[in-house]
Amino acid sequence: MTSRPHGRGDAVPGLAASRLWAATRFPYLATGVFGATVIAEPDSGTVSVDESWRMHADPELVAEWTPAQLGSVLVHHVCHLLRTHGERARAASVGPDDTSAWLRAADAEINDDLVPAGLDLPGQPILPRHLGFGDGLLAEQYYAPGARTGARMARWLNCGGGADGQPGGCECPGGLPDWQSELLRRQVAHDVIAHAKQAGNVPAGMLRWAEQTLSPRVDWRRQLATELRRAVSEVSGAVDYSYRRPSRRSSVSGDVILPALRRPVPEIAVVCDTSGSMSDDLLAMALAEVEGLVRALGRARQLRVLACDTAVAAAQRVSSARQVSLTGGGGTDMGAGIRAAGELRPRPAVCVVLTDGHTPWPAGPPKGMRIVVGLLGEKAPEAPSWTREIRVPYAERNV
Amino acid sequence: MDANPAVEALGVAVAARVPVLLWGAPGTGKTSAIRAMAEAMGLPCETVIASIREPSDFAGLPIVVGDGVRFAPPAWARRLADAGHGLLFLDELSTAPPAVQAALLRVVLERAVGDLMLPDQVAVVAAANPPEQAADGWDLSAPLANRMCHLNWQADPRAVADGLAGGWAAPEIPLLPDGWQAEEILSRGLVAAFLHVRPALAVAPPSDAAAAGRGWPSPRTWEMTARLMAAASAAGTSGEARSALVRGAVGDGAGVEFLAWLVEMDLPDPEAVLADPASFQLPERGDRAYAALAAVASAVAANSTQERWAAGWQILGAAADAAPDVAAVAARVLARCRPPEVTAMPEEIKRFAPVLRDAGLLGS
Repeated sequence: MTSRPHGRGDAVPGLAASRLWAATRFPYLATGVFGATVIAEPDSGTVSVDESWRMHADPELVAEWTPAQLGSVLVHHVCHLLRTHGERARAASVGPDDTSAWLRAADAEINDDLVPAGLDLPGQPILPRHLGFGDGLLAEQYYAPGARTGARMARWLNCGGGADGQPGGCECPGGLPDWQSELLRRQVAHDVIAHAKQAGNVPAGMLRWAEQTLSPRVDWRRQLATELRRAVSEVSGAVDYSYRRPSRRSSVSGDVILPALRRPVPEIAVVCDTSGSMSDDLLAMALAEVEGLVRALGRARQLRVLACDTAVAAAQRVSSARQVSLTGGGGTDMGAGIRAAGELRPRPAVCVVLTDGHTPWPAGPPKGMRIVVGLLGEKAPEAPSWTREIRVPYAERNV
Repeated sequence: MDANPAVEALGVAVAARVPVLLWGAPGTGKTSAIRAMAEAMGLPCETVIASIREPSDFAGLPIVVGDGVRFAPPAWARRLADAGHGLLFLDELSTAPPAVQAALLRVVLERAVGDLMLPDQVAVVAAANPPEQAADGWDLSAPLANRMCHLNWQADPRAVADGLAGGWAAPEIPLLPDGWQAEEILSRGLVAAFLHVRPALAVAPPSDAAAAGRGWPSPRTWEMTARLMAAASAAGTSGEARSALVRGAVGDGAGVEFLAWLVEMDLPDPEAVLADPASFQLPERGDRAYAALAAVASAVAANSTQERWAAGWQILGAAADAAPDVAAVAARVLARCRPPEVTAMPEEIKRFAPVLRDAGLLGS
């Protein structure tokens, strides 16, 4: 691999001292700070970063800053890369017109706990309160396309493609390829966690990021889709082979009996916990997701939804999640709901239970029925082992 | 270098005769790339669409012969066997019903179709749409997934534009030099050393069904990894493609750990350079230089003697020209662990004074 000398101090004034400042003040980010290449780019009027861990600095601008200020800008940019703001901007479909709104949101995500930890940025750093939010949220939550807030943009605020995901800029060689930048990110995450154990003075947001990077949370939507798909295809036998009916090819195969395809269509029922402890928003979200999945699976029949607390209200047949009215309150017994689902005719083959988990469970599923449990909320206790459980957290992505 | 690392990785996997599976959205040119590749290499290519086949098409059609049953291979298998080499392309793998996937197990790994054994020179390549994109898709069963190297296929907009205008470029199959298998001993050694450090990763079947349909670590996939790494280094493959191959074989989690471990292996051993400070070479990249120097400093700190301390300073002094900031971080660690019998600070420490002063770290 060709790698250029990583801007070791020449051309960008005060670079060595500012990196040293950064590595001393934020020891858990030192690997990231030294891993980035700094390139002098005269007359650019800014310090920007691209997604290949290259920083482009205007020497004239940088000369006005103290080592602590330049060091802080480096740390700030490294955080853009660590938190993959470029990739996330593309995922949030940030267009060229929205970049400054996105950059403010991304800056707020970084600055909220690093500024208290000693980041000394030139100018006025963007903080969540400038955007009208509390600390500790994500750029996606701060981001409001088209919003014109009063927060003044600092002169160096154009953080570049590494922060806003816009293409362009220089195509010069020497950056890190994707797979290496991922390794670098993981190394920094290891450093952060090791430092937190040793010294214990890592900002909480940074620590959350490191934990999320090393053991990413499984996307519940994907998990729910897999479980539902599997439940539906296994009970239906979908288009699998069976000897119940001889194959049409049998006419040419002589003495051999070949299997044929069979495909019963399974019924799906949903049991919703409507007790007082449930959150309406989360239930509606989960129910909408189930409904979308069932539709995507090609089960055109209407979904049957049972609202359940201690007693089960009559099964509602709905065609949309919006039609579900949550009637209950008080205690919960999902066993009653599952039993009621088992008594429906035609009998459902798959039953999806959406609950917060604070419920007694029966000893086993009704015969011939598969149960998929969606546990809503972070603190839900475990479902019994004969179900397939999926956790649906409140926070979508807790980076 | 190819814009799409999957193309390069596909070439290496085919050359190494490791079964490979391309995952990608419908219409992104997986099928056309594989056909073009076979054509460019002059290999006969048999396309078999798994989703419209029956299990007996892969396990052999049972025919009553006298008092026994023979499993007759279908014509495509005969053609490949007669040619002696070629490409077996299994399309639409993820929409194949479980019974067909089960029948494919032997075809993919052992190249056995019914009673017929396909020659070793037949490469198995498959393509599939992710279950969420395929109509009526199934998650790949874990045993079948474990027999293949999974590559993510993404259409590169520039390649699409070029392909529309001037025909699709075929992925190049790297020609492996004779005796490339000799390298496999080396790469097996590397994998074995890694599994000594991380025994938990030797076998780790994933818990959720979606992950089970992709690569996951098992003795078989680690063996595949060793083979792919040997082929990749014989073919001079780019790091990007090599990473795709490793992660495709054992899955993202274990793959990344293994790659990170390989990078670490590249760093100089701190004890060795302390014994012979003149041999120290500063790694080119800043983060590696930092890792190497920090390792030297903490090795001295763990067991600080007059000799080791002096050797440490000699190494930092030599690095001070090229990377004063990186070396200064390590110097601060080293300065704190002065062995009691040493009274004077070493000469080299003066070289760090200017940068320490600039950073405001002196005199406070």
